[in-house]
Amino acid sequence: MVRLITHNLLACHVRGCNSNNFPLQFQDVQIGLREAEFNPDFLRGFLPKIEWNALVGAARQLGDTSLPEEQPSMLDDDFLKTLHHVLLEIHVEEGAMVCPNCKHVYPISNGIPNMLLAEHEIG
Amino acid sequence: MRTAYLFVFAQAHQDFRLPEILSIAELHGFTITFPKEGQDPSRPFVVLELEEEHHARLLARRCILIKAVYEFYAQGSTYEEVHEANRRNRHLWSRYIENTSFKFMVSAHNHTIPQWRQREVIESFSYMDFMGRIDMKDPEIVIGCFEEYPNRSGTTRAKDEGDGEFIQVWFGRLIEEGSARPLIKKFDVKKRAYYGNTSMEAEISLFMANQSLASPGKLVYDPFMGTGSMAYTTAHFGAQVFGSDIDGRQMRGKGDQPGIVRAASQYGVSARILDLCTFDITHNPWRCGELFDAIITDPPYGVRAGAKRLGRKKHRPDLTPSTPASVRDPDMPYIPPTKPYELAELARDLVLLSRYLLKPRGRLVFFLPTVTDEYQEVDVQTMLCEGMEVIANSLQDFGSWGRRLVTIRKTTLERYPAPTFDARLPAPNGSEDVAAHVPAHQDFRRRYFEGFRKVVDDESNK
Repeated sequence: MVRLITHNLLACHVRGCNSNNFPLQFQDVQIGLREAEFNPDFLRGFLPKIEWNALVGAARQLGDTSLPEEQPSMLDDDFLKTLHHVLLEIHVEEGAMVCPNCKHVYPISNGIPNMLLAEHEIG
Repeated sequence: MRTAYLFVFAQAHQDFRLPEILSIAELHGFTITFPKEGQDPSRPFVVLELEEEHHARLLARRCILIKAVYEFYAQGSTYEEVHEANRRNRHLWSRYIENTSFKFMVSAHNHTIPQWRQREVIESFSYMDFMGRIDMKDPEIVIGCFEEYPNRSGTTRAKDEGDGEFIQVWFGRLIEEGSARPLIKKFDVKKRAYYGNTSMEAEISLFMANQSLASPGKLVYDPFMGTGSMAYTTAHFGAQVFGSDIDGRQMRGKGDQPGIVRAASQYGVSARILDLCTFDITHNPWRCGELFDAIITDPPYGVRAGAKRLGRKKHRPDLTPSTPASVRDPDMPYIPPTKPYELAELARDLVLLSRYLLKPRGRLVFFLPTVTDEYQEVDVQTMLCEGMEVIANSLQDFGSWGRRLVTIRKTTLERYPAPTFDARLPAPNGSEDVAAHVPAHQDFRRRYFEGFRKVVDDESNK
């Protein structure tokens, strides 16, 4: 778990941490690959929500360089399959996500990220 | 031209029947019309009109509360009326006269018809003159005749007493048996690999998944995931599910693999559980809104599981704030302090959060416990905000209290900022009266443990 689709939707939410708080940086990760069902309609529908640069960056950080630097305008099947693999089939099982701005560490254990904040971070 | 269909419902959750079929009709993009004014949906036989027979089949395959759907031929309070109506509708069944194998079924609701009279009933239809073979195992068509009796449970009576004293007789040809009801067995909580003391029963979980219009390609979110009861049924219908909970232990259970993933694997849907995250919805990390097609949840209401949010009950200046994991011993996970989350406040926050996180026309489906005697329609209005509209509100009655399954649709196209969850502002769209109204679900926990006594009773007892 912690697939890149999730990573692409989570920002640091510490009080006052409002800029440069996304994307979170992966740290000391263990990854696993697991097959998921390919649904092109879902991908097409979800694409407008994706922060492309963050997705490409996160994939490269995990050693996957299959995505192009620029989001292609043509959504052919090959591209959607690559996108499917990157978004849904790479799972970060252990490690952490770190805020690039305030350096808050969100630990990931057994695939579940702990996004709880400490008392002094909620204000 | 619309055709009338006779719907036979399971005798459970009466309040949920119509919302469910309307939801599934919306999911498949067709409409249902109600031909007769004043049909009582609490009765198990209801006649509805559809454009195509195929629509009846879609409903029978997806609705948990449908036992069967028949093409409607006749009804009446006496058999004379039934036969008369049935003769008038000869054009509906005349094509089966010539050479169609058939089975004739006579049964009753709230009663058992003795064998000899079942035969009598069948013979009374002999004017239909079906010439095909009678085939009890594999007939081409099944003709059904149902006698509906009043509920006489709690009374003792002799065998066959009251036989023939039915309220109504219903007659038609079977289109499709409901095939979603067996899913209740499949999702039986007791046979699940992982569950907890607050897991939702299978039937209601399936029903909620239907209310959320779960289907392939949809993205659904449960912000009080707990042990994931609704995630399995939602994923079963093809949707992808995100879950979050303030208490990660509920989602994990024991062992390395999270309990929810284990249970989802049992149902073959683990790939559709997109991710599980630990966080408090009042301090959530969602980067943007308009993400989900539906939000489906059973919020904790403080009886078996207490609702919590981050923060402290009282401000304690003498205590230094606790520090996060990065500063402490790594073997000792940091657990931030939490405070209770009052139900009425939680419900309002949930609606606000849903308006932010749902796509336009997305649905919020959740349970709201309430005190039966004190519930008023306006209770649900107190938690609404602009752009959110209640489309179904069904009661599951437990006596002195009950829970209402509320389905709310986001009707607005406008983008709202993320809610802040701090000041308790009155609902912006409500009139002063609505804003000032104290709903029956407020302080539900305290009142539950007080046994729902009324204040007046307290004083008279003293």
